[in-house]
Amino acid sequence: MTRFRAVVPALAVTLLLFGGALAGAARTSVAPLPGQSPSLDAWRRVLGDPQFTESLLVTLGLAVVATLLSVLLAVPIAALLRGRRAVQTLVTLPVLLPHLLVAVVVVLWLGPGGLADRVVADLPQVVRAPSGAGVVLVYLLKEVPFLVLLLLAVWDDGVDQRVEVAATLGVGPLRALLTVVWPAVRAPLVLGAAVVMAFVLGFLQVPAVVGANDPVLLPVYAIDATRVRGLEGQADAAVALLVASGLALVLAAVAAVLARRLDGVRR
Amino acid sequence: MTGQLRAAGRATAIALALLTVGPLLVLPVRALADVWRAPALLPQRWGTRGLEVVLAPGTGTATAITNSLVVAVATTVLAVVLAWPAARWLSTASARRRTPVLVVLALPLLVPPLAIGAGLAEWFLRLGLTRTLAGLVLAHLVAVLPYVVVVLAPGFTPAVHRAEEAARTLGAGRWQVLRLVSLPMLAPSLAVASLLGALVSWSQYGSSLGVGRGVPMLPLVLEPFLGRDPQVAATLSLVFLAPALVALAAATRRTSR
Repeated sequence: MTRFRAVVPALAVTLLLFGGALAGAARTSVAPLPGQSPSLDAWRRVLGDPQFTESLLVTLGLAVVATLLSVLLAVPIAALLRGRRAVQTLVTLPVLLPHLLVAVVVVLWLGPGGLADRVVADLPQVVRAPSGAGVVLVYLLKEVPFLVLLLLAVWDDGVDQRVEVAATLGVGPLRALLTVVWPAVRAPLVLGAAVVMAFVLGFLQVPAVVGANDPVLLPVYAIDATRVRGLEGQADAAVALLVASGLALVLAAVAAVLARRLDGVRR
Repeated sequence: MTGQLRAAGRATAIALALLTVGPLLVLPVRALADVWRAPALLPQRWGTRGLEVVLAPGTGTATAITNSLVVAVATTVLAVVLAWPAARWLSTASARRRTPVLVVLALPLLVPPLAIGAGLAEWFLRLGLTRTLAGLVLAHLVAVLPYVVVVLAPGFTPAVHRAEEAARTLGAGRWQVLRLVSLPMLAPSLAVASLLGALVSWSQYGSSLGVGRGVPMLPLVLEPFLGRDPQVAATLSLVFLAPALVALAAATRRTSR
């Protein structure tokens, strides 16, 4: 039996670095200069900035759209890939790819002068599209395989056996998916969806490469602030990043409660 | 009818696999295209100019690749050392005790990496760790550790615990148990956990930007080339892709066994 103290170093390092990072960001947001007396100027400035409000709403909107589409696509794809191990390995390959790499591939295909543009003239532009289509596309390419992998891990032989029993009782495939498979996979899927949403809220590299220039997503708003407004900008960036962090943590907490309830219903 | 459905399903699955992997082929083609003006579908001149730029002294790209590699390896080693005892504990703990520990370890994954990097930079500046590889290792560790713990934990099966116990009963010391029993039995899990940990560090963008503040790292030097010189961006992307292909090869080997 391993004692609890075995996990203490990992927990201590995580709490120290993660807690330290959030405390550091909070400190920058109220006093960007060493020795400066704390003030809420940056919070007032950012929360009163219409550009920030727009960035926040657009980021949230795209996070919801990308997450919902990822879930909707992942379930039938996972169903299709059950028992096809070699194809599974290839389809879930993007899980291993860095987000930036997927964004680069999307630009080389769909950007101005890209390969797709050469094959099909007058293709609608998704890269840097104001609708955020490029951002959603990159996250779909990255996160659908992630959710498929997660679904395949919980969609075990027991679930398949119950589907077969349902089929012998005359239940159709669609109804079996809704009444047998869905209850088995929905709790982990909700947690996976929360992770996807956190990625969309927080990753800089995707909107930096394929996102619209106006309105920008929250991480880009933060990095632009540091590049344009110096020390004051660093405080503004810290505020924007703390808001994004808070949102992601609240959404994850809601997802955890929901997953627990859904899991409880199943049991 | 069922046979037709199954064939259609197989065809769709294969089409999906091709749609996933196929687009990556644009990278080697773009990397070897010295001249490729629109609207031509194939490059007008093939060559290795992209590679020459990447390897040229002064561009900082070779340094960035080395930095990313050093940081990925160091972060992974540190993460494995911390994750090993944690994973062992998780393998025997009850679900009630395991869940809060996993939640704490996974928390940093939910927060924007740039927030982690910028927040840590506030303290690292005082400790002389900003703009250093050591600072980058610590910043990456927060993101790498949960993945390594979660992948390593299922490796500590009851069979491993029994074999360790048997070795101890026969008089083996702590290091002998580790060297002769635990490490060989956990080698596959350790390999997967290390590979995944290194991949996560290799991909870090926001935290590298926040703490590195100008230290060249592969993803950070790659991005500006995309608008300036796509051939160099594609060449660097192939380097960026390499560890994932190693992981894919390892996964394929495991699947085919």
